Parts: sequence; structure tokens; C-alpha cells
Amino acid sequence: MSESIDAFRQRARSWLEANVPAEKTPLEGKPLRDYVLAWQQTQARGGWAGLAWPKEHGGCGLSVLELIVWFEEYARAKAPPVLDASFVGLNHAGPTLIACGTEEQKAFHLPQLLEGRAIWCQGFSEPGSGSDLASLRTRGVVDGDHLVVNGQKIWTSFADTADWQELLVRTDPDAKTSGALSWVICPMDTPGITVRPIQTMAGAHKYCEVFYDDVRIPLSNVVGGLNNGWATAMATLGFERGTASLGIIIANALKVDEMLGDCPASRPQMRARLSQLRVEAAAARAMAYRLALDSEEGVPDARGSMVRLAFAELAQRISAAAIDLYGIASPQVAGYHGWGHEYLDAFSETIAGGTAEIQRNIIGERVLGLPRGPR
Amino acid sequence: MNYELNDDQAGILAGLDQLLAAHAGGPSGEPENFFYGAALDTALAESGFLDIARIDGFGPLDAALVVERLARLPQVVEAAASALIAPLLPLEPGERPLALVSGDATRPARFLPVARHLLVLRQNDALLVSMEGTSIEPVESLMAYPYGRLDSLNGLSAQTLANAVDIRRRWRIALAAEAAGCMAAALDTVIEHVRTRQAFGRPLGAFQAIQHRLAMAAETAESAKWLAFRAAWSDGEADAAIAAGFVQERIARFTYDLHQFSGAMGLTLEFPLHLWTYRLRALAGELGGASMQARAAAQAVWGVA
Repeated sequence: MSESIDAFRQRARSWLEANVPAEKTPLEGKPLRDYVLAWQQTQARGGWAGLAWPKEHGGCGLSVLELIVWFEEYARAKAPPVLDASFVGLNHAGPTLIACGTEEQKAFHLPQLLEGRAIWCQGFSEPGSGSDLASLRTRGVVDGDHLVVNGQKIWTSFADTADWQELLVRTDPDAKTSGALSWVICPMDTPGITVRPIQTMAGAHKYCEVFYDDVRIPLSNVVGGLNNGWATAMATLGFERGTASLGIIIANALKVDEMLGDCPASRPQMRARLSQLRVEAAAARAMAYRLALDSEEGVPDARGSMVRLAFAELAQRISAAAIDLYGIASPQVAGYHGWGHEYLDAFSETIAGGTAEIQRNIIGERVLGLPRGPR
Repeated sequence: MNYELNDDQAGILAGLDQLLAAHAGGPSGEPENFFYGAALDTALAESGFLDIARIDGFGPLDAALVVERLARLPQVVEAAASALIAPLLPLEPGERPLALVSGDATRPARFLPVARHLLVLRQNDALLVSMEGTSIEPVESLMAYPYGRLDSLNGLSAQTLANAVDIRRRWRIALAAEAAGCMAAALDTVIEHVRTRQAFGRPLGAFQAIQHRLAMAAETAESAKWLAFRAAWSDGEADAAIAAGFVQERIARFTYDLHQFSGAMGLTLEFPLHLWTYRLRALAGELGGASMQARAAAQAVWGVA
């Protein structure tokens, strides 16, 4: 007999209470890598690795409802942030390999991801290609049984400590986007790769530039077929089922609850502002749950952009309110785990993974069915 | 209020620009949260521009013009308190930099590590604390000022001042003028970026979604500037509270939009935008923030809090 959802919640809660690390996440570099891998290893030992991954690939195969409950308990337990060095591997690269990878690729990489033995980073954006990803110029030229890559990627989070990269390169310069790109597994220790960390305004070396100078990658590392990289990249979206952001959305709502608790009665305007944010958090959460549950059996639709837009802009308003609530010089705001850092980091919410403007375009065109605007 | 500069004001700004030309250029070396202009500070102190309000025939408006212009620089120097508040205090010209803190004297204060005096603004009075021979506990901050904090007032020479109302008014004018200069420089930086940065085959600035919000940002920056100058001109309670409250209320939206249109580049220290937006964020919280200024404005205009 299958476990009831209440029993599942209790099991998740008990396990998290016993296993969530007491130490805060390190800021960057090897300490961060070690911390993230150790936490993944702990989750794997506890049977909580690859929550949304199918069981035949070593995952938990949780239902959407179970995922929601897990993330509620995860946020409640103040477990390590989900949007960290393990995010690309578990939510992007792994699912892509499951959907499009060869048996050899899956057999080699999936266990490493689940068991916390490898960090992945993403090599999509370029200095001239952010929102307009299809214009990317990094070249891959077939030479025997290798792909020789030259070019530059940027905004690659955790490239300085990653083992592997999901790398999107142009392999047919004459073809349209749908037949021009290849998605390839790039070992980050290959000769010819140079990584330069970038100091972000939030204080950490969170992003990197990656330079490729005659980097030779075996053709057997191409995923989904040569010149078929656009379809491979898009396939991942069908797997995420809109659940990857649940942990962040739920955590935000809980943070507003805490802020409301900290707001004295002598500040009625601040209370009203926080109450409004709590309402908005509830709205974003409701929309995210609805979308996730709707996508149980199918591919998520463009409404995912509504969820993304709502929680990204909400996260910015919440961190701005926190600074006004506690004061810029307060202990709650100071330091790398304080709201000051979170406030600055939240600027990236409406840029990374598709800017707020791109999300609005998608909502206008694909959800509302309006005519496509000029690009 | 006349919206055109008179000959004296035009002359002051031309002279200031000449001095600043020798200090042009952004920070060199590794990108940092902020860039303290030590050499510029010395040159300003010697030039007398920060004492303009003390000179017969000149006043707070001339000081605000100087403060607004200096706030546009990538480097940060203590100018607003020296130019607009110090003339109200028992300080000689050139006795600066001056750090400010409201309420508790041990709260972190901008410029305290380089300040000769700390002014503690309390509800009904103020304390002028000499920092001579005092060691300052530095405060690590992501905001773009050198911050420092006193352990306590014990053993420090402090003078109690009764003119808290005047100090608070000038502080509001000072922060409004400084914020207006930061906004102007930040907006210029982003306008240049969206003119040149291409996406989907054309400059970012060609997209209406971006144009509209930058137009709103320009409206904010322009309003902030003229409200600040008006407040400095009238030196009145209501104008000062309105100028400070307006700019503080707009800072969050303004900075988010400007960073948004700078893309990921705008999130790095290598793009100079943070040199102004970090200052704006710090200014947004001073003197209790926008809601406190709104209450003060209501009190000054209608006699209701």
C-alpha cells in the first residue's frame, strides 16, 4: 500500500530535522563545493536524491504533490538553498541526459550526480548572447572523433569548481538555430579551458567567464545528436515540470512570516507592507502549485513564465522590505548571510534564466495569444 | 525659485568642473564595492567649494549644486554634510570630514573612519563629537561608503547642540541633493549601455519595454533633482521633507530598473553602476526612510503627523 501524504510529510520532516546541516552555506570556491556535495551525499544516503527523477534512473520518482510537500518541509527546516552549485546538475544536466543521453552517458553521469560526486555548470550565455541565446557564437568544429571548441561563455555560475559543463556550441554556422547548435558534455579539466571568476556586486565570485582555446571534446560527449542542440536544450524544460522553483517560493513566504513576527506594532505602515508581501507570496505559491499539479502528466506550458516572473519580482520586494524593516546597519542585514547580501543578489532574479522582459513577452504571446512583437 | 543658474552659480560649477577634471577617470585595479576619493577630498578641502554656503551672498542652494555635481563622480567623498550641515555647527571652515548618525551614537555611520567629527542627531538635540585621537571600529558593508562605528561615547569630547530641527532639515536637503546626483550618473551609465548593447539584432534601447521604464527613471531623477534644489533654495521644513521623502521612496524602483537593463553585466563590480546604486540604497534608509519624511512633510504642510 502506498504511503499517505501525511505519512510522507512526517517522514520528510523527521529526516530533515535530523539531517539538515547546522553550518551555513560557504560563500564560494572549494568550501562551497565541498558543502554542496556533502549535503547531496547526505540526501542520497537518506534516500532523498533525485526527488523528481524517475526511479529507473535512480531517482525517487515522487509525485508532484509529494514534491510540494517535500519543499514545504525543506523550507520549514531551513535546509541549504536549492539554487546552489548542485542546481544545474540535478535540475538541468541530469534531466537532459535522462531525456536525450545515450545509455553510456546516463550510466556514467547520473550516479555521480545523485550520489554527490560531481558538480555541473552551464555554458549557454555569451558576452553577446544573453536573452538572445540563439545568437551564440562559440564554435565547435568536428575534427576526427572530436569536437574542437573555440569561443567564450559568461555568467557561468560555479565554473571555477565544476567538474562538467553542459555546453552549447555552434556546430553548423550556415544552418538555422534548430539545426545549428550542439549540446555537449564538456569536462572542465580539458586543456585549453580558462576560467575567470567575476566579482559580483553581492560580494561573491558567483559567476565566471570561461574561455575555450582549441578545446578537444570527444564526439561521444554530444547529447541528443550533432546539430540538434537546440532541441536538446529545450527538452529539459519539459522535465522540470515547474517544480524546481517551489523550494524558493515556499522559502520566501516563510521569510515574510518571520519578518511580520519581527515587526513591532509601532510601525503600522511596515506591517501593512509586509502583510501585502505575504499576500503576494501566497498568490505566487498558489499559482506555482496549480501549475505544478497541472503538469503532472504533461509538459508545462508557458504559464511557467508567470510563476517565474511573480516570484522573481516578489523576491526583490521582500529583500528591499527586509532592509527597511531591520535597518541597513542591523545584524540581520550585515554580512554574507544577511539581508543586505540577499537584496543585492536578488537583482539577478529578474535577469538569470530569462529576463523579466523575456518572460513578459512569453506571457503576452503564448499565454494570452497576442501577436508576436518585433525582435 | 529661478530654474536657470545665475552667473555666480554657473561660475561655481565651471570652477568645480575644472577641479574635477584633474580627478577624472574611474577606479583602477581590482573592482571594489566603492572607490574612496582621498586625493579628491584633499583638493576639495583646499579649494573651498565645500564652504560655499558660509560665504556672503551664497547659501544652501549653491552648496546643493556642488553636492549634486560631486555625487555624480564614481569616487565617493564626504561633501554633503560638510557643505550643508557643518555651517550650522560650531566648526571652522575646513574642519571636516563630518560623519552623521541619527538616534543611537553607536550605530554605523558613513565616513566615520575618515571623519574629524561625528554629529549625533537625537530627537530634540544633537551631539557634536570630536574624533581626534579616537580609534574607529570599521564596519564591513556592501554599501558604497566607508562605514565605521563607535563602541561608546565614553571618554570622548562631545558638545550638546540645541538646533536639532535645523540640522535635520539640512540633512534631508543634503541627502536629497546627493541622491539626485547619484541618480543622474546612474541613469547616464545605463542610457549609454542600452544605446550600444545589442539583442535580437538591435540596440536594447530600441525596445519599448525598456524605453518606457527608463523614461520613468528619467522622470524620477529629474524630479529628485529639482525637489532637492527647491528645498535648498527655500531651506524650509516642508520642502526638505518632501525632497528627501520623494527620492527615498523612488530609490528601490529606480535602482532595480537600472540594474535590470544592464543585464548580468550590471550585477558585477566591473560595471560601474553599483558605485551609485549602492550609495542610493544607503541613503534610502537614512533618517528613518521615506515614511518618516512623509510624516514630517505632512506635519510641516498641514500640521498633522
